[in-house]
Amino acid sequence: MSESTSRRHVETGVLENRGFLNLRLDPHKEKAVKAAEQILGQAVPLVSNTYGSGEHRVYWLGPDEWLIETDAGDVVALENELAMALAGSSAAINDVSGGYVALRIVGADARTVLAKGCTLDLHPPEFRPGRCARTRLARTTILLAADGEPDSYTIIAARSFTDYLRRWLAHAAEK
Amino acid sequence: MLLIECPWCGPRAETEFSYGGEAGITRPRDPDALSDAEWADYLFCRSNPRGNHRELWNHAHGCRRWFGVERDTVTYRISRSFELYPAAVPETDAALQSGPDNSNGGD
Amino acid sequence: MQAAQANRLREGGRIDRSRPLKFSLNGKAYTGFAGDTLASALIANGVGLVERSFKLRRPRGIFGSGAEEPNVIVQVGEGAEAQPGLPATRVELRDGLIAHTARGWPSVRFDIGAINDLFGRILGAGFYYKTFMYPRSWWKYYESAIRRSTGFGRAPAASDPDAYEHRNAHCDVLVAGGGPAGLMAALVAAKSGARVILADDGTEFGGSLLACGEDVAGAPAADWIAGIVAELGEQPDCVLLPRGAVLGYHDHDFLTIAERCDSGEPVERGLHPPVRERLWRIRAKRVILAQGGFERPLAFCNNDRPGVMLASAVSTYIHRYAVLPGRRAVVFTNNDSAYRTALDLAVAGAAVAAIVDSRPGGGGELAIRARDLGIPVLQGRVVCDVTGRHRVKGVSVAEWSGDSWENISKTAHFDCDLLAVSGGWSPAVHLHSQAGGQLDWSEAQLCFLPSRARQCHDSAGAGNGKQSLGDCLIDGLRAGTEAVAKLGLTPIAIEAPDAGSAREAPIEALWRVPAEKEADRCLKQFIDFQNDTTVADIRLAVREGYRNVEHVKRYTALGFGTDQGKLGNINGMAVLADVLGKTIPEVGTTTFRPVYTPVRFGTVAGESVGALYDPVRQTALHEWHEAVGAPMEVVGQWHRPWYFPRDGEDLHTAVARECLAVRNSVGAMDASTLGKIDARGPDVVKFLERIYTHNVGRMKVGRCAYGIMLGEDGMVMDDGVMARLGENHFYLTTTTGGAAGVLNWLESWLQTEWPELEVYLTSLTEHFSTIALAGPNSRNLLEKLGCDIPLDRESFPFLTVRAANLAGMPVQLFRVSFSGELAFEINIGSHLALQMWRKVMDAGREFDIIAYGTETMHVLRAEKGFIIVGQETDGSVTPVDLGMNWLLSKEKDFLGKRSLARPDCLREDRKQLVGLLSSDQRTVLPEGTQLIEQTACGVLETRPVPMCGHVTSSYFSPSLGHPIALALVAGGRARKGDNVFAALPGREPLPVEVVSPAFYDPKGERQNV
Repeated sequence: MSESTSRRHVETGVLENRGFLNLRLDPHKEKAVKAAEQILGQAVPLVSNTYGSGEHRVYWLGPDEWLIETDAGDVVALENELAMALAGSSAAINDVSGGYVALRIVGADARTVLAKGCTLDLHPPEFRPGRCARTRLARTTILLAADGEPDSYTIIAARSFTDYLRRWLAHAAEK
Repeated sequence: MLLIECPWCGPRAETEFSYGGEAGITRPRDPDALSDAEWADYLFCRSNPRGNHRELWNHAHGCRRWFGVERDTVTYRISRSFELYPAAVPETDAALQSGPDNSNGGD
Repeated sequence: MQAAQANRLREGGRIDRSRPLKFSLNGKAYTGFAGDTLASALIANGVGLVERSFKLRRPRGIFGSGAEEPNVIVQVGEGAEAQPGLPATRVELRDGLIAHTARGWPSVRFDIGAINDLFGRILGAGFYYKTFMYPRSWWKYYESAIRRSTGFGRAPAASDPDAYEHRNAHCDVLVAGGGPAGLMAALVAAKSGARVILADDGTEFGGSLLACGEDVAGAPAADWIAGIVAELGEQPDCVLLPRGAVLGYHDHDFLTIAERCDSGEPVERGLHPPVRERLWRIRAKRVILAQGGFERPLAFCNNDRPGVMLASAVSTYIHRYAVLPGRRAVVFTNNDSAYRTALDLAVAGAAVAAIVDSRPGGGGELAIRARDLGIPVLQGRVVCDVTGRHRVKGVSVAEWSGDSWENISKTAHFDCDLLAVSGGWSPAVHLHSQAGGQLDWSEAQLCFLPSRARQCHDSAGAGNGKQSLGDCLIDGLRAGTEAVAKLGLTPIAIEAPDAGSAREAPIEALWRVPAEKEADRCLKQFIDFQNDTTVADIRLAVREGYRNVEHVKRYTALGFGTDQGKLGNINGMAVLADVLGKTIPEVGTTTFRPVYTPVRFGTVAGESVGALYDPVRQTALHEWHEAVGAPMEVVGQWHRPWYFPRDGEDLHTAVARECLAVRNSVGAMDASTLGKIDARGPDVVKFLERIYTHNVGRMKVGRCAYGIMLGEDGMVMDDGVMARLGENHFYLTTTTGGAAGVLNWLESWLQTEWPELEVYLTSLTEHFSTIALAGPNSRNLLEKLGCDIPLDRESFPFLTVRAANLAGMPVQLFRVSFSGELAFEINIGSHLALQMWRKVMDAGREFDIIAYGTETMHVLRAEKGFIIVGQETDGSVTPVDLGMNWLLSKEKDFLGKRSLARPDCLREDRKQLVGLLSSDQRTVLPEGTQLIEQTACGVLETRPVPMCGHVTSSYFSPSLGHPIALALVAGGRARKGDNVFAALPGREPLPVEVVSPAFYDPKGERQNV
């Protein structure tokens, strides 16, 4: 993570070498879900607005949509394995590594900085480790996740908005 | 700013949603069988009630699901949100409710 | 000349005498203390006449002590920092503060405009509209003269150097107002475990407690406040926002608060100026409104003279700011609360010449205390006039019969320099009403009380009509406890502290004191001080036929000032009701709207200024475009390279070079902003057949097609190339602007209309970057880059797609063309795109490759007559209008098909896409030019001029050497060869010839090689 510090107690940085796969699957097709979980080596979260972590992070995006975050180097192999395992079960798996950038924001003021541009209630009991949400931050759409450690959040942003979002975060962290 | 209950994500700010007009407008099965007037009615005429209104919303900046909302057009009070074609949701919510210790996340 | 702070009391108050502060008003220097407002410091310095009124230019002084202040509206600061429109009562004093009043020329004391006052009789409601109507054409001259003489300050010319921010927050209980009721409510809620936000407009909590001499729980009020605030500060989830004005109560318990973060100390702005003001955007589960009440003035002649003040303001200045606003005072009231002011004045050392009480029976316990102090109390009397122009010199008192319109005569006169008035209290129901809550008129208390709430709110304290301090404390406790219970928490038990309460006599309905002469002489009886709205104006409005309170408001400007009628609205409604012979609830109130107090534009904008005004979306190749100095075109939020100038080329020269390079060799363009959607599933063909107009099912795997989508109204909505990657797998592209909207729209059909179709749509817009290679050498360039598939015409024909490895990287190669040349589009993951682009530019050197921007792309496609959705179309254009009948399948239904058979879509005189050639071979028609019918000799046959269409795209074509234009012309396709006329500003209409839109290579041979 390349870091930048600021007046507030917060550090932001880009998580390097992250790869992303988008998975579409009917959660009622138990066999397909099982097949995907077998390849992933971890559960596909079926509860709204949660993510599972293990070798990868598997974020719930919608009732039949997940985002798998993994090492950039593993994406092609994982995509192929999933495609094979899910062949015939009308799932859709797409490499979307070029489409996202993962940022991390850490520090005692991280929540305050996020609250400047995000309408979610980030209060820990509401948005605790293991929770994620697609939502708005400033004028962009992001996927926000509460990390395992306190005061640490992962922001997964659309690539084209990253420059804007980093400027916005830097600005918000100065106040 | 409205607070809209997404059936999947819970209450979220209006800025995450886009509006889809009146719910329950069904596309005719055979448009060619309709007179011009009937087709125009499907295309353009909406009930525009004073009071309870069933309408479509899309959680565009969230889970991308379209769903229905019953909203009072006078008070803006939302009485309920509903899935348009509810399917049995896999039952796992109990695990989450028992607290952060059992959450399947965190690293 | 007054001595410095001659009106300052020696002790008491919430000011810090060890911190003197210098300030100036209209260039004159004064001193005050930390803790002062500008208003209290001015009164301390004996500045009585401060401002001139808005319309009549009457001399005015400070009237109130808070947000209700109507008269003294100042501009604070100079230059870019200047902030106009602030009531002096809400301006915290700080060292070096510079303030100016808005009016008074050449000085406030001698204002030329004061001559207006002499004409007060004719300057009634609607004067300007009635007088300056004739001749009508002169209004523009009248207006500029009238405008110059109005306003509450000057907007700074430079941009605001301060920083502002927004903050979203959630809470269980939001308490608006930190007076006795609000503090109690917040305390019980926070201690019961609720997440609480307590906001108060003042610089410190306490509200009315800061302005009275009463004890709470046996201790001075200030000590009790400090204890509660400290206790709240210890609660884990309690946010305290002093200097936090609750501005609005919006839908679904969403409230906005403007928090003034300014410490008053001078700041180093530097690169990151500190936040001046913060807008809190709060979603609350429960809201308790405890904003207290506003004291009402009374309407009598010359009730606006400097030295006439609200009784509660007088008490506030004495207790909170240790300032005595007058030496010899008269108190005029219709209720008991003003007796407290008389006691405060007497204790502070002023002489109270008389308490004039309109009630024949006088007041309650407080009246006894006043008499005990030797203050003369006159019952059944009213103040009917005020003498003194720049300062109150005395008051006339008359007997009061109870009839507002019966002439009365003066029976006594009292010399005084201060008149404290009280017409009763109105609870601050603004937020309750904004939230949709109902109001009930209380005949006993003569005010509107909050009743049924529409959202999750409750009112407490004086804002709920409670009058004594003890009742306010109890009511705050009640509201807090009930809120906690409604949240499902267990409220802790707290007892309300002891506080004094006096038995009070009821208020009397006195809305307007009759005048000495005729009943109509109410010209100087002011209702809305800021807008100079008088009793006479309201009577005039009724005489002229206005009945509805909203209309009267707009005709007389009642309640339109920066105080938004906090002072005068109820009095105005009462007078209106009286004139109309109706009751006050029958007349009703005007609508309460946000914002409660004025707010800075900077606060509304927050961080979204300058570079953060709107997101800039950058393609993966942005870095390269910037490095070569390409000017950017903003398309939606995208910044796309517009053209790539070499050696100081201008747009025209660069575009000409880029166009010819593509036509003659090869060019590369960043087309990454196109929308891209992966569509799969067993029912994907069925789905896309309904979406696209062409026969999707007939496409073989590996084929591409140009496709259009129509709205159900039959109008072209979006277009783009789509490709069949597998039996049940498609790749769709959309326009740049349509990307997000089209995906949502497709999902709406899948999710709301055809849920039985199993199709998954995934946006790949951000994932894939697109490099378009166009020109006769594009194939040679790909070969040079190293491609693992055969690229010849037979193996890789026009309108097909292949997965390939290009220059060592995985790509999807499309053989499509938007220029009419042999062309390919390379789709590659955005993380690899810059690397690929660099390789393309390196390998292309052999072919003199150029990068081209959006302008060249536009020219090339216009030469071919290719449309751009949103440029050739505007939501009223069908595919038939565009000559795209060939795309419309006859064998299936698709969205919008039925609409194409509606009579209006079958008209032959619909506007149709054509090409235009300027007859002079020179003029590039401005886009949007209207096309008109005209005879060759220029004589217009009919009026208005028959219009037949407009220009949608227009360029100079470097390949053809003359201007070309695309246009929509009524019945255009049948008019090829005709001349229509382009209406050009400042020129004779120019004849233009209607031609086919395909200007270049009309047979389309070049793209097929």
